Amino acid sequence: MIAIWYVVVSFMLITYVVLDGRNFGAGMLHWFVARTPQERRQVVAAIGPLWSWHEVWLVGFGGTLMAVFPRLLASAFAGYYLALFLVLWCLLLRGMALEVGGHINDKLWQGFWDFVFVVSSFLLALLFGVAVGNLARGVPVGADGTFSMAFFTHFKVKGDVGLLDWYTMSVGFFSVVLLAAHGANYLTLKTEGPVHDRSSAWAKRLWFATVPLFVIVSFETWKVRPELVAHSLQNPASWLGLIVILASAVAMVLGLKKWNEKRAFLGGNFLIVGLLATGAAAIFPVMLFSTIAPEFSLTAYQVASSPNSLFLAAFWWPMALIMAAGYFIFISRRYAGKVSVKRDTQGFY
Amino acid sequence: MDSPFSDPAFWSRLQFGFTLTYHYLFPQLTMGLAWFIVFWKWRALQTGDEKYNQAVRFWAKIFGLNFSVGVVTGIPMEFQFGTNWAGFTRYSGAVIGQTLAMEGMFAFFLESAFIGALIWGEKRLGPRYHFLAALGVATGSWLSGYFILVTNSFMQHPVGYRIEADGLLGISSLSAYLLNPWAMVQFVHNQTAAVVTGSFVVSAVGAFYTLRGVHATQALLYLRAGTLVALIASLLVAFPTGDQQAKAVGNDQPVTLAAMEGKFQGGSMAGVSMIGQPNVKERRLDNPIEVPGALSFLAYGTFESYVHGLDEFPEDTWPDNIELLYYSFHLMITLGTLFILIMGYATFENWRGKLSTNRALLWVLMLAFPFPYIANTLGWMTAELGRQPWLIYGLFRTRDGYSKVVSNGDTVFTLIGFTGLYFVLGLLFLFLVGREIAHGPDDGDENKLGQEPAV
Repeated sequence: MIAIWYVVVSFMLITYVVLDGRNFGAGMLHWFVARTPQERRQVVAAIGPLWSWHEVWLVGFGGTLMAVFPRLLASAFAGYYLALFLVLWCLLLRGMALEVGGHINDKLWQGFWDFVFVVSSFLLALLFGVAVGNLARGVPVGADGTFSMAFFTHFKVKGDVGLLDWYTMSVGFFSVVLLAAHGANYLTLKTEGPVHDRSSAWAKRLWFATVPLFVIVSFETWKVRPELVAHSLQNPASWLGLIVILASAVAMVLGLKKWNEKRAFLGGNFLIVGLLATGAAAIFPVMLFSTIAPEFSLTAYQVASSPNSLFLAAFWWPMALIMAAGYFIFISRRYAGKVSVKRDTQGFY
Repeated sequence: MDSPFSDPAFWSRLQFGFTLTYHYLFPQLTMGLAWFIVFWKWRALQTGDEKYNQAVRFWAKIFGLNFSVGVVTGIPMEFQFGTNWAGFTRYSGAVIGQTLAMEGMFAFFLESAFIGALIWGEKRLGPRYHFLAALGVATGSWLSGYFILVTNSFMQHPVGYRIEADGLLGISSLSAYLLNPWAMVQFVHNQTAAVVTGSFVVSAVGAFYTLRGVHATQALLYLRAGTLVALIASLLVAFPTGDQQAKAVGNDQPVTLAAMEGKFQGGSMAGVSMIGQPNVKERRLDNPIEVPGALSFLAYGTFESYVHGLDEFPEDTWPDNIELLYYSFHLMITLGTLFILIMGYATFENWRGKLSTNRALLWVLMLAFPFPYIANTLGWMTAELGRQPWLIYGLFRTRDGYSKVVSNGDTVFTLIGFTGLYFVLGLLFLFLVGREIAHGPDDGDENKLGQEPAV
């Protein structure tokens, strides 16, 4: 039961990253792929009507995490206090930029909100990468199951670590490049005209750059947590994740080569799913690894709710997911197709 | 812990209270407005009269702005359970997490999937599906309210839980938890109060346009619908829902009722004070003017009923801010009574056909819209201050709930951050809503704000 809930919670977080990651990516590339005010509105219109639908996946994740792993939420959220508020504020600014930017047709007004959009998207991509790096590396969980962490300490990966060190920063950098590439795929799919052509060029460059970065980050992970690699080789779920990564990489390369935008975008989506799922499978059952002493680590079994609470949650959760899948079909039909430069086909501005 | 400033629970309470109060300014309007939009869309389908569609388009834009601010200010609420209230989350997350997760999974997915369709999708969807989108958004917003109120009701009156072997809470019965009798009462009271806010805003915009001499047809539509709904909702907020809420407090939290009414000594024939300030030091109400027996009757059904006084309860179970609780409760009641009077008179004028010519009344209607926001906030302050010193009534104290690893300075820092961001957000919101109202519904009336109305 607990393992199933671990899969559910990972699934929700991964879905959130895949869905909102494209918006972060598009936000980071905003200045590079769109040069005129009209092109900029095109980028915003490509993600505008859906960002709140994507963001509620984070809310759903938070609520589910609280219901099934309350002690993890309590320990991690309090420990990451300032970093989490930084994420919250960036999300708030990103939402404001998307919502208010289009309300007034003025160069300065939109220029300002474009700036907010780009910076908050970049910070969010970076912070989510750093967060993943923290999950892999571990945090200074003490004997009482809590921790409190500085932004940075000695930049080393053992003992009294901070949010930032050489390892988490490189994962953050990888995340920025990866999500930018993901966003470029999305914009290629959703736009036409100059924005489309520039996005397509960026997609190729960025995906090319992810390959060496992936090798470096994998090697670093092996240096930081050698046991993770050994552990994941025994876990069939990580093999599955690796197969997904390979298959989606092949699909994407073929898609980029043959100008099949949909295939390229789907390949990129599943590539991210595969990467995160492999990571989630590799660390299980530990949810928060302790850099102080491995025996202080919090496992899914220690932080889970009572069996009856988990059982009751398993009763309603699948119903909610089926309904959400229904809305997803509605949404993807309604917002299918490209955002044109001339016409506002989404009715967004 | 002598000074509240050195008490970490104080700062986390202040931050949660501030961010929540601010957040709730937006959902209370969307929950109230949603059914106006559904109703007008339905009338448009039925009659084919374009004025209803114009009203839907105009109010959907106002709705959309409120919805966006509601989303961006709502996400910090969920995170703060973990960041600032880790002790509480650890203890009761298995229970309250259920409804917080349900809110996201059942309500937000529904609402956010259809909000775009409601605001921008009229042409693509066609009238029938556009009506369904409006219905989906309205249902989603009320469902979301329900799950949050179940969560709050568990904190007010815990049911359906059990204490597990490790001393933490778990769910014993999901149906008992979801159908908490307290939640039923709180839901109808809170939702009708949200309708009061929505209808006051609708009638205020109608009054504004009428006084300004623009958008005459639309303005009359808003005025008539707004004032009638406001009268019905204001009556329902007081009776039976407010009455039932007070009875629930009297039964389940008698010490809270005593504090709300400033009753330091118990007795039968207990009165409701119209005027008076609690003097906690001297244990009495200063300069009280009371309606004798009213409290006994309202809380327990007869004038002779015995109402408990604060002196019958140990002092460590008293709400910790009796003055603020007392003022919040009494001011809420006063405002609620005024709402009934104003809207009763407006409905009378509407019946006489003088609603759009009585300028004094229009001025009142135009300026009255902030007060339901205040009354809603006061109601929540009554509920939450009245629950103190408990986080979960009778089970878990507020002073045990905050995050031990977060320092006061960190909380003050983030509180200041929220204050700044929310100030800017509030300015932007008012500016943009002001623009939409100045622009007005697209009903063919070319008169805009800042121009002299055509003669």
